Amino acid sequence: MSRVIFLMKEAMISLRRNLLIVAGAVLAVFISLSLAFGALVVNEILRVNTLAWQEGVHVIAFLWDEGENGVPVNAHATLEREVQSWDEVKNTRYVTKSEAWLEYQELFAGQEELLEIDPTILPASIRIELEDIDLYSSVRFRLDQQQQTVREVRTAAESIEQLQTLSNFLNVFGLGMAIVLGLAAVVLIANTIRLAIYARRDEVSIMKLVGASNWFIRVPFLMEGMIEGVVGAALAVFFVWLGSTNLARAGEGFTLVRLDVATDWFFQWGLLFLIFGAVAGIIGSMLGLSRYLRDAEGTGPDIPTGF
Amino acid sequence: MIRLENVTKVYEGGTIAANDVSLDINKGEFVFLVGASGSGKSTLIRLMLRDEPVTRGKIWVAGKDISTLPKWKIPYLRRTVGTVFQDYKLLPNKTVAENVAFALEVLGRPRSVIGPQVEQVLDLVGLSDKAVRYPRQLSGGEQQRVSVARSFVNRPPIMLCDEPTGNLDPKTSVGLMKLLDRINRTGTTIVMATHDHAIVDAMKRRVVALEDGKLVRDDETGGYEGLDSR
Repeated sequence: MSRVIFLMKEAMISLRRNLLIVAGAVLAVFISLSLAFGALVVNEILRVNTLAWQEGVHVIAFLWDEGENGVPVNAHATLEREVQSWDEVKNTRYVTKSEAWLEYQELFAGQEELLEIDPTILPASIRIELEDIDLYSSVRFRLDQQQQTVREVRTAAESIEQLQTLSNFLNVFGLGMAIVLGLAAVVLIANTIRLAIYARRDEVSIMKLVGASNWFIRVPFLMEGMIEGVVGAALAVFFVWLGSTNLARAGEGFTLVRLDVATDWFFQWGLLFLIFGAVAGIIGSMLGLSRYLRDAEGTGPDIPTGF
Repeated sequence: MIRLENVTKVYEGGTIAANDVSLDINKGEFVFLVGASGSGKSTLIRLMLRDEPVTRGKIWVAGKDISTLPKWKIPYLRRTVGTVFQDYKLLPNKTVAENVAFALEVLGRPRSVIGPQVEQVLDLVGLSDKAVRYPRQLSGGEQQRVSVARSFVNRPPIMLCDEPTGNLDPKTSVGLMKLLDRINRTGTTIVMATHDHAIVDAMKRRVVALEDGKLVRDDETGGYEGLDSR
């Protein structure tokens, strides 16, 4: 126990003594992990919204009025039954012309000039929810065959697909950024540790002189790197959480877009980022120490050339 | 306790610092390594501490062949060997007591052991009243006594001293030698490299003289004179 306290104390002393350098390393970890974590949060928001949109209406078939252009009476009901029977279709809802007018009035409430239209021009429609969003093109093709009844087919799937493409891009971009910036953080921590060793070279040489093992000498530096990584990561998680919370608050009024991220999600990913920070710190420290203690035999400071 | 068998040390560039040196040092002995600057005294101390590897030959310390000792075992060797250097090697930001305790802390000794042991050894070197002072607040002699306290606090069976009186005035040097003599009387083997004639002559202990890395004299109770007369 006293050994652990001693090692912790040594790590703290070193952190205090090289405050400016340590602050630089923490800042580097903070910036890199903030960008990576931020990208992850944006990706999560996109994912949640894509899911929400996917759960709604995927395809709308606008219909010719019955009794006009040779469209038989009951053609709408017949078509809805047929569409409902397709394997790709999960659910359908028929919206009459009058319901369409009500919907239109709701959508453009307060915009008088838009409401001054002839309600009869609004077509009836079939709103279709698919079993799987990817099946939209097949449904669209089948609806296009029903040109006698179907006036126009619109699908939300293209937009969803675009969102998925953006989400995939963000996944790759976020991962790439996390790797590159994570590496930068590791290198910066390695440099900090090298400077810390240089600053404490007398102490280290005395430690060797009195028989401290290499691991005993290494541990305070590993702890130092780990603390730098964890503090940087904690700051990144905190500030991204703060930003995300404010964004969610600002977006509370939006009906179409959700900007909030679940607390559980934040907790899980935040924890992972803290672990990543700790691991990055330890790897950085090991890199910083590798050249130094690799062949350490003598009691001298063994400061690598290049300092 | 310490055995050197045909030890040769050649530094990069071809400088021969130790040339076929063979030496046996028994338990409890006090041995002076004497010689001019560059004669190889400090090199022998460093070789015995495995601060440097030998080029040829073998060295046994406390029954172990340290010339073939794996690197990871070197710390264990150093725990059995106390060291005192001319430049004290004290940590300026630690107090006297902390400097001494440092040697036990790095070995992972519990606090309950460290406190009394530090107190005891500071009492031995006569610095109990200066335990909370920093090295810069002490004289050279006092700093060297802290260094001795640190190397002895672990009760090592061997102490290697490299010019411990090199930075001290004659009166202070005598005080330090008395201290080392007391430690030697507890059974600790002491090997001390020095070029201080007065001390070697006064102590009347075994003298091993070196010249250009070669052992040229080994007197049971000699003085520095023999070397000077050469």
